[in-house]
Amino acid sequence: MLVLAIDTALDACSAAVLDADAEALLAAQTLDIDRGHAEALIPLVERVMKVAGVGFEAIDRIVTTVGPGSFTGLRVGISAARGFALVTGKPAVGVTTLAALAAPHLSESDAVPVVAAIDARHGNLYLQMFGSGGRSLVAARACGLREAVRAVALGPVRIVGSAAEMLAAHWPANATPPLAVEPRGAPEIIWVARLGAAADPRQAMPRPLYLRPAEARPQETQHLPRR
Amino acid sequence: MLVLGIETTCDETAAAVVSRDAEGRGEIRSNIVLSQLDEHRPFGGVVPEIAARAHVEQLDLIIKKAMAEPGLMFSDLDGIAAAAGPGLIGGLIVGLTTAKAIALGAGKPLIAVNHLEAHALTARLTHGLAFPFLLLLVSGGHTQLVAVEDVGSYRVIGSTADDAIGEAFDKTAKMLRLPYPGGPEVESMAKKGNPKRFALPRPMLGRPEPDFSLSGLKTAVRLEAERIAPLSNEDVADLCASFQAAIIDVVLDRVRTALSAMRAAKRAPNALVIAGGVAVNRAIRGALQLLSTEIGIPLVLPPPELCTDNGAMIAWAGAERLARGLTDAFDASPRARWPLDGAGTRPKESAGG
Ligand SMILES: Nc1ncnc2c1ncn2[C@@H]1O[C@H](COP(=O)(O)OP(=O)(O)OP(=O)(O)O)[C@@H](O)[C@H]1O
Repeated sequence: MLVLAIDTALDACSAAVLDADAEALLAAQTLDIDRGHAEALIPLVERVMKVAGVGFEAIDRIVTTVGPGSFTGLRVGISAARGFALVTGKPAVGVTTLAALAAPHLSESDAVPVVAAIDARHGNLYLQMFGSGGRSLVAARACGLREAVRAVALGPVRIVGSAAEMLAAHWPANATPPLAVEPRGAPEIIWVARLGAAADPRQAMPRPLYLRPAEARPQETQHLPRR
Repeated sequence: MLVLGIETTCDETAAAVVSRDAEGRGEIRSNIVLSQLDEHRPFGGVVPEIAARAHVEQLDLIIKKAMAEPGLMFSDLDGIAAAAGPGLIGGLIVGLTTAKAIALGAGKPLIAVNHLEAHALTARLTHGLAFPFLLLLVSGGHTQLVAVEDVGSYRVIGSTADDAIGEAFDKTAKMLRLPYPGGPEVESMAKKGNPKRFALPRPMLGRPEPDFSLSGLKTAVRLEAERIAPLSNEDVADLCASFQAAIIDVVLDRVRTALSAMRAAKRAPNALVIAGGVAVNRAIRGALQLLSTEIGIPLVLPPPELCTDNGAMIAWAGAERLARGLTDAFDASPRARWPLDGAGTRPKESAGG
């Protein structure tokens, strides 16, 4: 099964083609950019397909990260994935950035839980804790630093993501310190592809995982009085 | 040729397929529009993040419908067009990225269309109009008089110093507590009211340049309303009627001025075309009809569903550009701001976001 994987949700723009049955990465490229995904992604996919030496008719599945991350960035990847799915008639699946960040650590060993922590700016984090078999121990959430520490600093853990160091720096003195801290701005694209290959292709089209409501205020109500 | 067009600049998620034959005649094969009105209504206006969220969830389904209705496959198409601006950046990114993915996946050219250019060229799809013509573009975001000289050749000869006309309708409605969106509400209230009851200003009337200014009129409506508040239904109807009458006077005067300017420049237009959401206003349409008879220039009114935002106009503008070999690279930028007469109307610099 050939999987086309893309990720634009965080501080990178990545694409890869994975032959999931042969466990062979045919092509992968990552640009370290925190903006400009809308310009960079499709030319990147074009190059990756060329290096992989396959046409779109050969792609069996498209996978994209769905967030949490930059609202604008994650919509680039999801729009592209759904566009590719439409034109190829193949399924598109979504993978969360949190799961993709945690995946390589869990595959190494799942004896110690993994916390994926993404900097959501202004002292906020996107956070999830995974245990054995990738089971979710603390559900994906957007929260402040203090709440994050309270939710995950319960025993030995490993932390990965752009907020890994921030979380580790605020670890309570009386708790077991994290066994590993890996700051990463974005998931490795090969893990996005692998998780996508393992996902159920009958799941609905990838939808954004924002974890935060749209910023909007209901209409202000200062009108002229009516009789 | 067959072109798919995608429109996501504001609060409509839309896709359409249009054909263009060798003689330049167009035909709409499908035209699907999904309005987000209900999502934005509680906020009394379009909320950009809510619009972007709705576009990304719906666009592929809308495109699927637009392709299924005429029974087409992507391989049947000659090009994929998307509105790349001007508009709300979140929606532009969704529409343009989807178009790029389809174009790359299907091996078809991409056309990044200027939304205003699409409004400008609609009359060639509906009426086969020849260049040059004068366009009055009046919507929630724009109020412009444009000399449309060729595909890619537009001269903005008049624009607004402040609010757009649709915006003035919307703000007046809001102030008078009429439901959202306000334009149609003000029109229907105006029908019941006395347009002479309030002496409202006609900003810019008689000025030699065909420009607009609406904020003074809006303020005058507010002052009159405050003066007589609390308002009865009759007061509201009279305010709406007086407001709309002032708008019509200004529009007629500005159009006359623009027409004389074009004629004086020896570029006499073949027709006067109206486009944009305000163009569905019957009182404004009627007044322009009278003007066109009076000064002897055909008036071209695209049907209401092609005046407001739609995918067919984007597909058509894409077809017109494609027929001239104008296509775009896959790194084309969405542009929140993109003036009609700017840089040959090609998306180049990034609008950020
Ligand atoms: N009957 C009417 N009378 C006056 N104004 C109207 C009427 N119907 C709609 N409008 C106005 O038209 C505008 C919507 O038009 P449209 O959908 O073309 O444009 P937009 O998305 O607001 O702007 P743009 O196309 O410039 O990006 C609103 O401001 C609305 O109030």
